Amino acid sequence: MSLAVTELRRRPGRFAVATVVLTFLSLLLLLLGGLLDGLFLGSTGAIRAQRADVIVYSDTARDSFLRSRLTTEVRRQVEQVDGVEAVGGLGFSLLGATVPGETDLADVAVAGYELPPSGVPDPPSAGHAWADERLREAGVSIGDTLAVGPAGTPITIDGWVEDTNYLQQGALWVTLDTWREVQNANRPDAFVAPDVVQVFVVRGAGGDGLAAAIDAATGSTSTLTRDDAVFALPGVSEQQSTFNAIIFSTLAVVLAVVALFFSLLTLERTGLYGVLKAIGASTRRLFAGVVIQAVTVAVIAFVIGGVLAFVGDALLPGDIPLQLTPGRYVFTFVALVVAAVLGSAISLRRVTRIDPASAIGSAA
Amino acid sequence: MFLALTEMRRAKVRFGLLSGAVGLLVFLILFQQALSTGLINQFIGALRNQSADVLVFNAQARKNLEGSIVLPAQQAAVAQVPGVAEATPLGEGTFTVLAGVDGAAEEQDAVIFGYQLDGPGAPTTLVEGRLPEATGEAVASSRNADEGFGIGDTVTVVPNAGGAEVVFTVVGLAEEINYSVSPTLFTDFAGFEAAKRAVNPDATAVLPSVMAVRVADGADPEEVAAAITAAVEGTEALTRRQAVDGSPGVSAVRQSFSVVLLLFYLVVPLVTGLFFLIVTFQKAGALTLLRAIGSPAGLLVRSLLLQVVVVVLTGSVLAVGLFWLASRGGGGLDISVESGPVLFTVTLVLVLALLTSLAAVRRVLRIDPIAATTGAGVQVG
Repeated sequence: MSLAVTELRRRPGRFAVATVVLTFLSLLLLLLGGLLDGLFLGSTGAIRAQRADVIVYSDTARDSFLRSRLTTEVRRQVEQVDGVEAVGGLGFSLLGATVPGETDLADVAVAGYELPPSGVPDPPSAGHAWADERLREAGVSIGDTLAVGPAGTPITIDGWVEDTNYLQQGALWVTLDTWREVQNANRPDAFVAPDVVQVFVVRGAGGDGLAAAIDAATGSTSTLTRDDAVFALPGVSEQQSTFNAIIFSTLAVVLAVVALFFSLLTLERTGLYGVLKAIGASTRRLFAGVVIQAVTVAVIAFVIGGVLAFVGDALLPGDIPLQLTPGRYVFTFVALVVAAVLGSAISLRRVTRIDPASAIGSAA
Repeated sequence: MFLALTEMRRAKVRFGLLSGAVGLLVFLILFQQALSTGLINQFIGALRNQSADVLVFNAQARKNLEGSIVLPAQQAAVAQVPGVAEATPLGEGTFTVLAGVDGAAEEQDAVIFGYQLDGPGAPTTLVEGRLPEATGEAVASSRNADEGFGIGDTVTVVPNAGGAEVVFTVVGLAEEINYSVSPTLFTDFAGFEAAKRAVNPDATAVLPSVMAVRVADGADPEEVAAAITAAVEGTEALTRRQAVDGSPGVSAVRQSFSVVLLLFYLVVPLVTGLFFLIVTFQKAGALTLLRAIGSPAGLLVRSLLLQVVVVVLTGSVLAVGLFWLASRGGGGLDISVESGPVLFTVTLVLVLALLTSLAAVRRVLRIDPIAATTGAGVQVG
């Protein structure tokens, strides 16, 4: 085993190319994963943050927030369903906003709410908002008054909240009345009447049963659990499956590269292994050496790739939704190590087959 | 030559793994290329394939059709700008519609564009049927013809409480006019307005999303766009191309995919180059013997390059097969296998692989046949 480590130390050049290739691949895995996370987290924050069991849409909206409209009448029906503990209205407007002192507009999602999502305080006073941290990049600071939408509806920022964005736009959490004012001033074609909201967030007991009970009681709604609502956002589930397919194919390439490289290396050492076996080294020990080398190469590649990804994240322009999370690093690390172990296992057969007696011949 | 192929037949695992790795990588490159162009086309095809030279957005909309409305005063002002031959309203919205084949209509999402008939903003890629000539007629995206958007099918906008149903009859099909990856209809502005009122009975006014502008003969769209932006307060006029490139997400998608693709293009030649270099080192002894018994260096180099070509081509065949399978089961994002990009990618990968195998070629050329007589460079094992 120490032989394998010594070889790595004494002959690093031999492993250099494999390390470079794996570095590129781990960089790719991190970038792809970071893009996926950035797209997912930035689109779904406002829904994931809801402390709700189910979300109620109008049944003609096809689970789209922007097209859903619910009235107070429906709200009373929902409140009477067994197991419902609290009902709150929610509505979004996607608009541009002028930030004082900035020439570029900021993309904002004005979110009117009643029941505070996790991390968001109780609704602020009329015309004020809790802003998502994402808007800091657009030059927003506490106390600023943004002019929202073509009508320039003023909204003053009272404080920051985290990870609550909606469809890549920075959330501004406001009261339902302020939201209606923004929506009606800027989107006269999608007017909301005084008692109307887009969806209800509902806390209660019963999960799936609760959703079915609400739909049965109102006859005019479509109710999803919060997790289903996240995946019902436009594009989210397609993104998830496409990126995961690409990431797992890339892992298959990692496996193939490791397998290829170490089977070549093993081939080269056939004679040496014969001698080692003849003087008492077990197959297990020799193979463990191969695995250790593969894992070491993978770990080094991961570290360099990780640093490169980190630097790349800082250098890439801000409109690329790349977000590197600790979870993504852990996933990529584990996946690389597993692929390295599996890849080096291809050499096991060859190591096993080596006959110690071959050491006696001169061929080795 | 003969030796090169025999070697590959004997060492199936080794060359198989290499071809497999190359195949997967080429597949990933092809898949992501198709995905990025396919995605972009399905997101903004409607903007690219409509007839207006210039589109006038609300400056607050950040070039986003969904977030743009043009106020009445702005509409009038745009028409007055020199170089504008015609400026008409163009509306866009996403609706829940009933559409389906053989009476099995189901609720779907659809994007509806409303333009002034005979004005700018009409789809330009008609493949079947005709353009709408009256309210209630529409041209649909040909991609969705089988989903209830074929010629003669009716599409019903599902109203919200208090609104009246609006029905469109499909009279024509146009290629690549999707927007936001949804089935897309082009109809007249009155039809669009009716649809908007069906879902928002409380609406106080239905405003166009953008103004579609035809520039005067001989005028440069880019200059006219700049003139409109300067002359009309609160607007941002963009040429068709600028509107496509500036659409939210398009440049981000392009940039992210190009970074990823560049890395993939680097990995393929690195893997093949590495492999052949190691293999050549291992075979150095045998190659020295071959040189000693009279094989010219050129023959050995050609054998090596032949192996590179065979590996890359085998991998490419595998890749195209995988790509074809993926395009069948595309999961909603239908990508198509087109020979142009496939050939380009395969050729590029082949050239890159041959370039990196030059390292191995150099090693072959350095072999000195005389080493065989001393036994120094020869290990036959």
